[in-house]
Amino acid sequence: MTYEEFADTRLAPLLRYAVMLTGEPHQAQDLVQETMVRVQLNWRRVARADSPERYVRRMLTNQYVDWRRGSWVRRVLLRGEPDTSVPMPTDHAQSAVDRDQVWSWLSRLPRRQRAALVLRYYEDLPDVEIADTLGCAVGTVRSSISRALATLRAEYVEA
Amino acid sequence: MIEDDLRAAFVRHEPLTPSTGPLRVAIDRLAAVRRRRRQRFQAAGVTLALLGALGVGVPHLRPDRQVEGPSLSGQPAGAQSGALNVLLVGVDGFGDQPSYRLADSVLLVHIPADRSRPYLISLPRDLEVSIPGRGVEKLNSAFYTGAGEPRPDLDAGYDLTRQVVADLTGVRVDAGAVLTFAGLRRITEAVDGVEVCLPKEVRSWHTRRTFPAGCQLLDGDASVDLLRQRRYPPDGASDRDRNAQRYVAGLVRRAVAQDVLTSPVRLTALLSAAGKGLAVDDDGLPLTRLVAVLPELKTVDPVGLSLPVGPPAGNASRLPLDPKQGPEFLAALREDRVAQWAAQHPEQVNPVR
Repeated sequence: MTYEEFADTRLAPLLRYAVMLTGEPHQAQDLVQETMVRVQLNWRRVARADSPERYVRRMLTNQYVDWRRGSWVRRVLLRGEPDTSVPMPTDHAQSAVDRDQVWSWLSRLPRRQRAALVLRYYEDLPDVEIADTLGCAVGTVRSSISRALATLRAEYVEA
Repeated sequence: MIEDDLRAAFVRHEPLTPSTGPLRVAIDRLAAVRRRRRQRFQAAGVTLALLGALGVGVPHLRPDRQVEGPSLSGQPAGAQSGALNVLLVGVDGFGDQPSYRLADSVLLVHIPADRSRPYLISLPRDLEVSIPGRGVEKLNSAFYTGAGEPRPDLDAGYDLTRQVVADLTGVRVDAGAVLTFAGLRRITEAVDGVEVCLPKEVRSWHTRRTFPAGCQLLDGDASVDLLRQRRYPPDGASDRDRNAQRYVAGLVRRAVAQDVLTSPVRLTALLSAAGKGLAVDDDGLPLTRLVAVLPELKTVDPVGLSLPVGPPAGNASRLPLDPKQGPEFLAALREDRVAQWAAQHPEQVNPVR
């Protein structure tokens, strides 16, 4: 497979995955751009992997989890807190509000936990593959997902 | 159920995904830029480090320097003196892509106008300096700040270090290079090892190696190991700086002994051995001119010096410039009187052999 072929088929799914990770299109673009530049420059190594797709997803996930200082965090801070001022719920709007609440609660989770949730509930990957992507043990994946779910459930109760 | 809500939330936000067309163009463009930069490093690296260390260079290059390089806070002394200053920055970090890099050693190679011999001037990594946009910090963080995280950019790290060094010393930096551990290893191997003469035994903090007192031939790995050591030596980072000077002196001797610089064949071999462990100052003297000029120094045996510093300031571990000797030394450097200064302060001279 060439880099071009890979990009033809995989760029869109990667970008969607990055949107789910970051919750926001611009950061998703940055994340995918940075990852894919490295993919292109090191294409031979990527192509040698058993599954280039998985390899690149792991690169992108690491990039997301590891981005510490630099433009990344500054942007996150500039974006401000997720909007928690929910309008007074009326009956017919209630379910829409709930749905957007889930999205904003997600943004408060630690990045590893969010990545684990996205990998399981959006990418529908088995735990073994999630563990491979995050570079940790299967048990760690399960515990971080259950912690994340517990956090979200607690938000439900409060809301 | 929360799981179902999550799945639904993800699917519902799919339309946020931007189109891939512009992104793909941006990726290709950025990759092309980085690829070019990488190739440039590969070609240029070892030559410049070696020539810089040797202090090649010289009269032919003078005319260019009037127009090139940043003007330094109204202090044109360096430019007028005909002296040459080459900045060598040794940075830490292993692997292809470490997430950050600090400057372990900052070495200014000073070639006086009379081309008598090179002077290796160590600027302590803990030196208190003012870093634009960051405030008062240690010198080694200038590289870190410039290079950024998590994909440190050697060019940017060098640029900021160069600016800080120029502001501090008031001399123009004519050329320079950044050397990573990998670059150091390859250079060492390209000349079949470098002989380093140590006054005292040095134990490695990182490996089981012990470097005995006296002269020894170091291979690439051993050179990297030696130049990382600052924990065991009594004088810490300063002792490491002295060892870096001893290494450069040994490298210079080795290169001269092997006729590297006068033999096109050897030079080409060395060039191809160069890796991406080296980044080169593009805004400095044109490389082609540097390569074309042969050493004209009367002797290549360097003199090792350190910028005089005082005791740590307050509870910080930063080392301020020595209030008396520091400015005197810098004035001597700007006015091309380093030989005289070294003669007057023999205790500041580090024996490199």
